[in-house]
Amino acid sequence: MPVADTKPSWADQVELGEESELPLPTEKIENGVKTITEWKYNDDNKKVKVIRQYKIEQRKVSKVIAKRKAWRKYGAASNDGAGPNPANTIIAEDSFMQFTGTKEEEDPTVDTKSKELKNVRVTCRTCKGDHWTTKCPYKDSIVPIELENDKKPGQEAAKQEVPPVRTGKYVPPSMRAGAERGKGESMKDSRRDEQATIRVTNLSEDTRESDVQELFRNFGTISRIYLAKDKQTQMSKGFAFITFHRREDAARAIAGVSGFGYDHLILNVEWAKPSTQ
Amino acid sequence: MKPLMLHGHERSVTQIKYNREGDLLFSCSKDTEPNVWWSLNGERLGTFKGHTGACWCIDVKWDTSSVITGSADNTVRVWDCKTGACLHKVDVNTAVRSCGFSYSGNLIMYSTDKTMGKECTINLYDLRDAAQMKNNEPLLTMLVSGSKVTSAIWASMDETIVSGHENGDVCKWDIKTGSIVKTVREHSKNVVDLQMNEDQSMFITASKDNHAKLFDLATLDLLKSYKTERPVNSASISPIKPHVVLGGGQEAMDVTTTSTRHGKFDARLYHMVFEEEFARVKGHFGPINSLAFNPDGKSYSSGGEDGYIRVNTFDPHYFEFEFEF
Repeated sequence: MPVADTKPSWADQVELGEESELPLPTEKIENGVKTITEWKYNDDNKKVKVIRQYKIEQRKVSKVIAKRKAWRKYGAASNDGAGPNPANTIIAEDSFMQFTGTKEEEDPTVDTKSKELKNVRVTCRTCKGDHWTTKCPYKDSIVPIELENDKKPGQEAAKQEVPPVRTGKYVPPSMRAGAERGKGESMKDSRRDEQATIRVTNLSEDTRESDVQELFRNFGTISRIYLAKDKQTQMSKGFAFITFHRREDAARAIAGVSGFGYDHLILNVEWAKPSTQ
Repeated sequence: MKPLMLHGHERSVTQIKYNREGDLLFSCSKDTEPNVWWSLNGERLGTFKGHTGACWCIDVKWDTSSVITGSADNTVRVWDCKTGACLHKVDVNTAVRSCGFSYSGNLIMYSTDKTMGKECTINLYDLRDAAQMKNNEPLLTMLVSGSKVTSAIWASMDETIVSGHENGDVCKWDIKTGSIVKTVREHSKNVVDLQMNEDQSMFITASKDNHAKLFDLATLDLLKSYKTERPVNSASISPIKPHVVLGGGQEAMDVTTTSTRHGKFDARLYHMVFEEEFARVKGHFGPINSLAFNPDGKSYSSGGEDGYIRVNTFDPHYFEFEFEF
């Protein structure tokens, strides 16, 4: 497998030539982990140390693939060194496969909104017809009714409803009068997830996700399991989060497994605290 | 899982494909340079320089020696995969929508657009006869009367071609006679992607009518149908499990008017037999245009309208997952 670039790129070399007080990059290989330490100046002209760790893996591949590994890079990649170019290859955020027990959940907020819209009777301000004002066939020929009788009772009532808060300070839409208090609609999903999440602690080092799944599957359908693992050794860190589909299942799991002996350790199960944001 | 994001394209990715061993990933986009990547670590092997228009389709020969691309600059080009050099160039009347190597790698196929007063055709060249490419004399030209071809693949060795059409038709062509063997109409809108399964006995279609459908290759019988609530741009069959992955989303032109959450840009995994969705993977900021399973079945990649390719390696969790029925 091609390993990461060890030679500084030409851009770095130019920089190094100009500012020689930067320590040279070092490279260390230890327990299959390659650590590259580099020094550079950031935008504020401060010296920063960049440590990059790579896991070195050896893989056995068929002969044809091994031969292809020796190919030189070409085209736009011809100037890249060995290993992935960080400009093109980005390691993305962790993403989870969401297993869905049920069919597509309809988004309730969208549905009610569209229903509301359907219920609203559309009346044209120009001719009082059953269509939007902009679509009115008479919009050029008839002066809008609003202009004729300037003060409509509806408008006055609406004006009175708005409290006269005029301090000149910016008030976010969510804090303004008439706005619904609480979180916005985009926050709802994560909230629901947290409600059915439990935290298991005092797990042994050898625990794997499948073991956790085995342990909790009897209590109900699990939507997500997160087992904290050491980045390098892949051993369990001793705690895990389990999200159930239903809160009742989570409650039963707490009651059932709390104090349960597992792998010579007594498990401790409790509700996961909502993550602080 | 920690997906790899490959950012080698400046515009939306149009098609991605693995080679037979799955160590290389080929991608083309609406910019002019198709890319090749090592699928394991996302390192870019190279790019193919030469096209002057959007690249619509890409395919790789079975032995990964050469690559074919079709472009909107009215050319089809065959490249050397090792050096990135252009081996052949065929001038076409219109943009090229789909292209491919036959099973043996000796024949190439491409389909043209029905624009500028030109008829839609499927053309074949024999790579063993260099004069064909040079003099621009195709081995065979099959005129497509009616709806134009939006996707086409080689099927059953070097004998037939399956094409998907703008009106939803799926046709099978015999290259010996140069005519249609069978046509089925199971989709109501254009069929944008066709992919074969591992043993080439079935293929899956992806259509803008929100469905992906599984067909028997020999008889063109409809086997299974996977329903979603947004247009499907690509579908791929797992080589090791009875799973299919579907990708798509809101039309690219409507994306700015919908939020990511409502756009439904996630890739969805369906059980192949029970036609039921069991998992989904988020990631792209726009619709997925192309999907491909790694031939080892342990990862899949998706190329999106957002210009990124995401290589998703499955967690152990996926392999332990048993579909409940």
